[in-house]
Amino acid sequence: MVRKQVVFVAAVAAASATAAVGISDVFASSDALPGPGIIRVTAARLSNVHIDAGRKGRSVGDEEISREQLFNRRITSKAIGHAELVCTATGGKSANCTGTYFLPKGKIVISGPRTFREIFEVAVVGGTGIYDNVRGTLTVTSLGGKPARFLLYFRLLV
Amino acid sequence: MSATAPAARAGLRARAGVPFRAATRVRSVSLGTRMIVASSILAAIVAGVFAAFLVATLQLRHSTSRATHSKDVSLAALRLEGRVVELETALRGYVLTGEPRFLESIRASRKLLPASIAAVRRRASGTTAQERRARGLANEIRAYVDEYVAPLLKFAHTDPSVARSAVATLEGKRRTDDIRSRFQRFLSVDSERVANSVATANRTADAAIAFGAAGLAGMTLLVLVFGLFLARSIARPLRNAAEGANRLAAGDLSLRLAETGPGEVGELTASFNTMAASLEQGQAELKAQNQQLRESERVKGELVGIVSHEVRTPLASVLGFTSLLLQHDFDEESRRRYLGIIDSQARRLAELVEDFLDARRMEEGRIELRYESLNLSELLRSKVELFSGQSAAHEFAVDLPEEPLSVEADPRRLEQVLANLLSNAIKYSPEGGVVRVSAKAEGPSVSVYVSDDGIGISEKDRARVFTKFFRGDAASRGISGTGLGLVLSREIIEAHGGEMGFDSSPGMGSIFWFRLPARSAG
Repeated sequence: MVRKQVVFVAAVAAASATAAVGISDVFASSDALPGPGIIRVTAARLSNVHIDAGRKGRSVGDEEISREQLFNRRITSKAIGHAELVCTATGGKSANCTGTYFLPKGKIVISGPRTFREIFEVAVVGGTGIYDNVRGTLTVTSLGGKPARFLLYFRLLV
Repeated sequence: MSATAPAARAGLRARAGVPFRAATRVRSVSLGTRMIVASSILAAIVAGVFAAFLVATLQLRHSTSRATHSKDVSLAALRLEGRVVELETALRGYVLTGEPRFLESIRASRKLLPASIAAVRRRASGTTAQERRARGLANEIRAYVDEYVAPLLKFAHTDPSVARSAVATLEGKRRTDDIRSRFQRFLSVDSERVANSVATANRTADAAIAFGAAGLAGMTLLVLVFGLFLARSIARPLRNAAEGANRLAAGDLSLRLAETGPGEVGELTASFNTMAASLEQGQAELKAQNQQLRESERVKGELVGIVSHEVRTPLASVLGFTSLLLQHDFDEESRRRYLGIIDSQARRLAELVEDFLDARRMEEGRIELRYESLNLSELLRSKVELFSGQSAAHEFAVDLPEEPLSVEADPRRLEQVLANLLSNAIKYSPEGGVVRVSAKAEGPSVSVYVSDDGIGISEKDRARVFTKFFRGDAASRGISGTGLGLVLSREIIEAHGGEMGFDSSPGMGSIFWFRLPARSAG
């Protein structure tokens, strides 16, 4: 398990370094975003751990911790970043998710409810680097596959 | 001459006595050159107008072509937008109802979309910005299909409630709204380009129309000016030349035309003036020749009259006395007296012949002078002595200086001159009187004066005194002579380098004089 995590971190670091240029076609390589815009990336799940914190079996309070690799296939086939997400089951199929997307020039932090896994929208609550003080929404669409793939559609406001 | 050309008549100028100026006339630019220049200007204006119209036409054609192209692009874009709307509608229908017919419609729309996208991109090619917009539009539609339509269909199969969720619906709306706004931008940019192109074409057309109108006005003006120029510079001078020719033909040889007009026209008037001057000169020469012929005829008539009169009298005397001597025997005294008369008349005839021959020699310039140094006073005294015995009614008064009056002259010819002057003084004072002869040195000359108290010379005859055979009213007064004496005398004096003249008062007498260069002391 530890070995697996080391490999993952190295891969993310390499991908972040090599794809630094790739993200720059979406936003200019400055210290802050120039204005509203859209970031469209795909994510491939690296790991998904379910912690049965509530009653035995799927129940309220359970936690799901995921790691994903981020891609922009139009620019490079290598990963450009990664994501770390934690979702806490809130009843039924719903959960409340919090996570951080590590992109080449900064991080985007999201938070919000997830009604359906297949498609959900959460709020962008802030960020670092060029995404400092950013706001907006993230729409996540499940594309299926193994490992599971997602389309991440950030609609950002400055 | 035309009665309708008073202005043209101003171009005719009688300039008798004005020196002919054709040779000094400065040549103006030729008519041919002027016509070439005018034609070139006209051609340049026509070319300019046509060029403006050509540019405007090309602009309009370009604009039309762009509008047509834009229409094609718009049509393709609207067709593509229709396909997207069809897809969106069918998707929504399928998500809501799950009916297969919507699925069929979705498949059909997805199948047709690539061709529609390609059509838009193909037609949008030409400008980089519009190509970029078309590419962005195509990507947005493809992303919509791949990232929204396809997953949603999957969701609808597995869990329709997910596909019908508010998030899914909102995401679809956002996606299609983005696509619509891209369509709108794409079409508005193309419309704006067409509008700009049409506006440019309209401006060019307006400018071409204005330029064309100005060019046509300029051409009209130029043609009018050129027409006026032709009328003024060619037609009028030609009309003047024609009228001048008529006046010339009518005998007005002093007429000259004003040498105006361009090049060839000016040369024509100059040639006309040359011709008129030549005709005038020819006419003057003819008149002079005619005058000479008349004079010659008159001289011939007078000569015949003089010969018939002057020769007949002595000849009759010679013939009469010769016949008398042959038919009768006279005593010695009578015989000698008759022979003396015959001798005198024969000499008279000989003198006449000699005068005629001298006149002839003078005319031909064949008179010969044999110069000698002589004292003019001695010559005058001897001649006065000779003539003083010829008339009892005349008294001779001589006034000569003590010192000799030396001249270089032909003594025989000077004797002829003095004899003529003394003879005339006697003949033309039939009532008798004093004949005064004087001479004196005057500067470098020696002057001789012979005067009488005779009938004098009338005012009207003075100019002709030295004309050959002119005798005034001497014949009617019964005064004999040939009218050659004074002519010959003046010719002789002038041949010596001297001069001869006279002064006279009718009824009071005359004084004739001549001057000869004095012989230098050395």
